[in-house]
Amino acid sequence: MPLLELDSVVVAYGKVEALRGLTLQVEEGEIIALLGSNGAGKSTTLRSISGLVEPRSGTLRFADRALARLGPESIVRLGIAHVPEGRRVFPGLTVRENIVLGASNRRRAPKAEVAADLERMFATFPELRPFADALGWTLSGGQQQMVAIARGLMSRPRLLMLDEPSLGLAPLIVQQVFRVIADIRANGTTVLLVEQNAHMALSIADRGYVLETGRLVVQGKPAELWNNEDVRAAYLGGRVTSAA
Amino acid sequence: MSGAPAPATVVATLAARRERRGWILFAIAAIATLALPLAVPLQAYHLNILMQASTYAIAVFGLTIVLGYAGQINLAQAAFFGIGAYSVALGTATYAMSFWVALAIGTAVAAVAGAALGLTSLRLGGHYLAMVTISFQTILSLVLANWVSFTRGPDGVTGIQRPSILGHPIADSSHYLVLCIVALYIVGYLVWRLGHSRLGRSMQAVRDNELAAGVVGVNAYATKVIAFTLSAVLGGFGGGLFAGGFAYVSPDQFSFNESVVFLTMALLGGVRSPFGAALGTALLILLPESLRFLKAVYLAVYGCAVILIMVFMPEGIWGWFSALKRRLRPVQPVVNDAAPPLPLTSRTAQAGDAVLLEVKTLSKHFGGLKAVDQVSFTVRANTVHALIGPNGSGKTTLLNVLSGIYVPTGGEMIFEHRPITRLKPHERAANGIGRTFQNIRLFTAMSVIDNVIVGAQRHGNEVEGGDAGRRDLALAALGFVGLASRALDSVQGLSYGHQRLVEIARALAGNPRMLLLDEPGAGLNHHEKQELVGLLKRLRGHGLTIFIIDHDMNLVEQLADHITVLNFGRRIADGAPAEVLRHPEVIKAYLGEEAHRAVA
Repeated sequence: MPLLELDSVVVAYGKVEALRGLTLQVEEGEIIALLGSNGAGKSTTLRSISGLVEPRSGTLRFADRALARLGPESIVRLGIAHVPEGRRVFPGLTVRENIVLGASNRRRAPKAEVAADLERMFATFPELRPFADALGWTLSGGQQQMVAIARGLMSRPRLLMLDEPSLGLAPLIVQQVFRVIADIRANGTTVLLVEQNAHMALSIADRGYVLETGRLVVQGKPAELWNNEDVRAAYLGGRVTSAA
Repeated sequence: MSGAPAPATVVATLAARRERRGWILFAIAAIATLALPLAVPLQAYHLNILMQASTYAIAVFGLTIVLGYAGQINLAQAAFFGIGAYSVALGTATYAMSFWVALAIGTAVAAVAGAALGLTSLRLGGHYLAMVTISFQTILSLVLANWVSFTRGPDGVTGIQRPSILGHPIADSSHYLVLCIVALYIVGYLVWRLGHSRLGRSMQAVRDNELAAGVVGVNAYATKVIAFTLSAVLGGFGGGLFAGGFAYVSPDQFSFNESVVFLTMALLGGVRSPFGAALGTALLILLPESLRFLKAVYLAVYGCAVILIMVFMPEGIWGWFSALKRRLRPVQPVVNDAAPPLPLTSRTAQAGDAVLLEVKTLSKHFGGLKAVDQVSFTVRANTVHALIGPNGSGKTTLLNVLSGIYVPTGGEMIFEHRPITRLKPHERAANGIGRTFQNIRLFTAMSVIDNVIVGAQRHGNEVEGGDAGRRDLALAALGFVGLASRALDSVQGLSYGHQRLVEIARALAGNPRMLLLDEPGAGLNHHEKQELVGLLKRLRGHGLTIFIIDHDMNLVEQLADHITVLNFGRRIADGAPAEVLRHPEVIKAYLGEEAHRAVA
């Protein structure tokens, strides 16, 4: 029984179909990478799972429950956290408040537990600690990205969906973020990862799905995707270390 | 590629077709409304309602410009309307002027008042502008009611004269109505044209994103003042016609309540289009009259109707219909990607690598935080200069100082031997400095191509062929980034990565000498990044100097001729890529040990 199951999901914005019958499964405890070019429907997939867009047809099931018409708030309570691209940090709240807000789906969580989780976030992203009381808008783009990831982790999700977590982060921090993602999975959380940095994504993923214009074109284990000529050419590229 | 029309022609044809359709609709409506008062003998009551509707609509067109196009609130339109009305009233009744002279004076006084109000308050905008306009409205109402010796006070002014044309007095009300309707159509047409003109596009750019508008060369403040002044002019003009229609004016006709009515008319009909303004005005004047049979409850029904329309059609009636039309007939992709070549690419690189930009001990402090601290470097012409550093090290702040969004705390910048430290963003754009933003800043309510046209129309970017030439240039820029086929789409429908490319196209359309790019590779996959690398390499070959921030070391290594590294606002390294990327401090602070293996 997969943890998350999408069956022939169609999502359209007006007359433009962003997803044209997408079917995929995520097993408990996996890291799944969702690859594809811009406009392929990767972000739309995440948005349909978290209830931000209503699919036109098809079914979505999470832990054996249908997600249709549940709405984003109820879906978060089922244990799905979505870290959207473009950061979306609350500008008028402090970093600490932004992160703690991520725990608002956990009803009656003891204060000490939330405080301990917050402390874990600062340990994960030590760069944020000096800014704990700074307002969201004063952070740089990369720091906001870290806050957004930390906020998603605070909900202690069963399924964590990350939309381009490495966007705008320094190489050092990117390595750190991917280490964190691997740690999260080691603690039992399932991860659905949309990422342009296919090398990094496949280096930690168990399986990958490649989308093109709203359809699934290839899926498989990282090694299989590595060896697929088309996928290599489009998303991975040769090793360009000394060339050019 | 054979036979299919080039996108330039497709876009031009579509624009021409839209224009032709507009004209036909316009002509039918004009003939119908003009024929009515002449053919059918109307009662005085109906004449009055139509005169009120047509003169009000002219004032509401003003709100289309200031609020719909430029996004600035004006809660004093009744005051400008009153200025026009009282000028005609006092001019013809007290000073025995000709109607036309009085109307011209009224419009001019409204213009001066509008410009003065705009110049003093538009730097603030938002709530402050609302407060200032309300205050102005209140002051004018007090003056009209209390300066009895001049305005005749609360009793109002009677004996207002109507005009004559070529010696024929227009005394008859139905003839005067025809005059008002002709004026309505002419003004409506001009306002509609304005929306599709260079100035109108600048206004919409300021409305959608003032910061980005400045950076692509729009003088946001001047544009807002012009919009506000034009709005006041139309208020005054409509008011003058109104006074001639009713032969009597009094202060209570131009109170704050009426300003709210004008605003409601604009919002109800659809604030982004003059058609909406006319529709809203007609509805708000005709609806209460047609509900009078409900007697005691008619105002309640009227209020409910207005609320319901606003709830279910937040964009106004016209906006709702436009959205419906877009849904039913989605934009066709522009077939054929064979866009004309970008003129920039025919520019030949000037030989040599002279210093293009010199940054000397530049600092930007926010309170105690030294975001940029005494940074110096030089950027040479025809090179790609990369700026890297940890998150929060001050890279974007530095870029904001370079493009004029922030005023530096200290230091100076010299671009092509001219100091630019004190120049505003739009002045730097005029000097040939273009940029893109890390958090995409597009003009969200405009189409892809209109976004890029705003970039093409900056000062100092002379384009042959006026608007058509700028459209071609914009299309060329879109073709250059591979998005010509999406030219007519709304920018909101594009994916994150494509929106970044539109930003680059918008900057390129301005023919910059130097392009500042803030993380252009973010959100692109490997394949798209390689295309970006190719695109930027081609640009460098044509005399464009590129200053780039990015975290993708593969991209930076492929492109950069020179790298500057920041950490905690200070420069920690500066030089050729090979040495900078091996600098121990850079590796420790930024790259990490596994950098070269991990980042692809």
